[in-house]
Amino acid sequence: MSDLPRKVRLLEIMQDGKERWNYEIVKQAQEDYGMNSDFGRDTLNFEIIELAAIAFFKEVDIKVDEDGIYKKDFLLHKYVITDDGKARLSDACMYAI
Amino acid sequence: MDLQALRQKEHQKRISKGYMWALLCAILWGLWYIPGNLVWYTDPMLEAWGAMAAIGGDSMALVVVAVVITAMNALTVVIALFVWNGVLGNIGEIWRTTKAFKPCSMWFLFASVFGGPVAILGSFIAMGFVGGAFAAVAALLYPVIGSLLAYFWHGEKITKRAAVSIMVIVVGGFVIFGGGVLTELKSGSVGWIGYIGGLMAATGWGIEGAIADKGLDISGADTGLHIRFLAEFGIWWIIALPLLTVMGYPVFTYALAAFEPLTFGILMFAGITFGFCYVSWYKSFPLIGVGRGQGIANLYGLFAVISIILFFGQVPQWTILLGGALCIAGSLMMMTEESLELETLR
Repeated sequence: MSDLPRKVRLLEIMQDGKERWNYEIVKQAQEDYGMNSDFGRDTLNFEIIELAAIAFFKEVDIKVDEDGIYKKDFLLHKYVITDDGKARLSDACMYAI
Repeated sequence: MDLQALRQKEHQKRISKGYMWALLCAILWGLWYIPGNLVWYTDPMLEAWGAMAAIGGDSMALVVVAVVITAMNALTVVIALFVWNGVLGNIGEIWRTTKAFKPCSMWFLFASVFGGPVAILGSFIAMGFVGGAFAAVAALLYPVIGSLLAYFWHGEKITKRAAVSIMVIVVGGFVIFGGGVLTELKSGSVGWIGYIGGLMAATGWGIEGAIADKGLDISGADTGLHIRFLAEFGIWWIIALPLLTVMGYPVFTYALAAFEPLTFGILMFAGITFGFCYVSWYKSFPLIGVGRGQGIANLYGLFAVISIILFFGQVPQWTILLGGALCIAGSLMMMTEESLELETLR
């Protein structure tokens, strides 16, 4: 169980600069917070979308979920953390109690 | 459908959701004016008014009763949000976000200062000293301040079209309340305190939006808002009310008297409408930005008038129809903007 606010944890998962698909990030965060329901999954995915909207994550690739890895026939997004995202994360983790 | 078309559809969905939240905020904010007005006429508040006036005069009584009502409003909002976040399973997240003071909850604490003692109290002061119409018009200016701050501080994209739309909505608001404001300005004798109240409302809510958005970067809207209202609850119940008690105003007596079924029912109605209007406001910011979120939420002016017409039976003037049309035109102009402009907000 992570002790960080969820969006901070999502940034932390991405902080190594590797590109990851949204379902990979969601899966990790679901384990961290025990949010295993569909509602928990969608909540976390929406938080990723919000982080991308304010340019903390940048989308690098997209594909259709043909195999139903996340949600069948939905669009899957691959993200990488941006410099702004890293800067806000370092600020967050430096001060988080 | 090709990949790019699917992608654009998803963006459109995110943006529509943002506008939907902002619109819901405007509707609920408009509804809030019903309990917000009614509560002044309940027995405990009328008694409080008389008692406070005997101690410090009419003007001071108005401010003190406004503080008691705002404190009760903060309490009922906190209760409504506990139900909301409890159902969403967010209680643990509230605790985690509160503990992350510097990155997250610090911003909500500042937001509560600007939103509560500055904006909400300022709005009540403007209502009391000048009049309801003036208070509503003064507050309508807040998206201008919010957008400017979001643009210069967060580097938020505010397109020309969005800026013009916000101005059209503001002008629409002015037209709605125009006649009433002129009457109020002519009749007001101690108007200047009211003008300061109006200024407090416009700057307070504008600054609150921009500050809260900083915290919302890395925390959820539901949890962030709850922390903001817990902080406001603390400001009123731990600082303001005890301070007024020391100054000789028996505020706790009348705050406790409000726990009778009718008054508390009205306050709970205020808490639910205000709480969820604020939830919707905060939820719109990460999706469409502070400028657009506040611009659409500004339609509350129109919805407040509709609420008052429906529930209090006051006959609308022709200016309301003209102003309402301007508000709707401004919103449509903003909402029909090409969604690719908003792929990222900054």
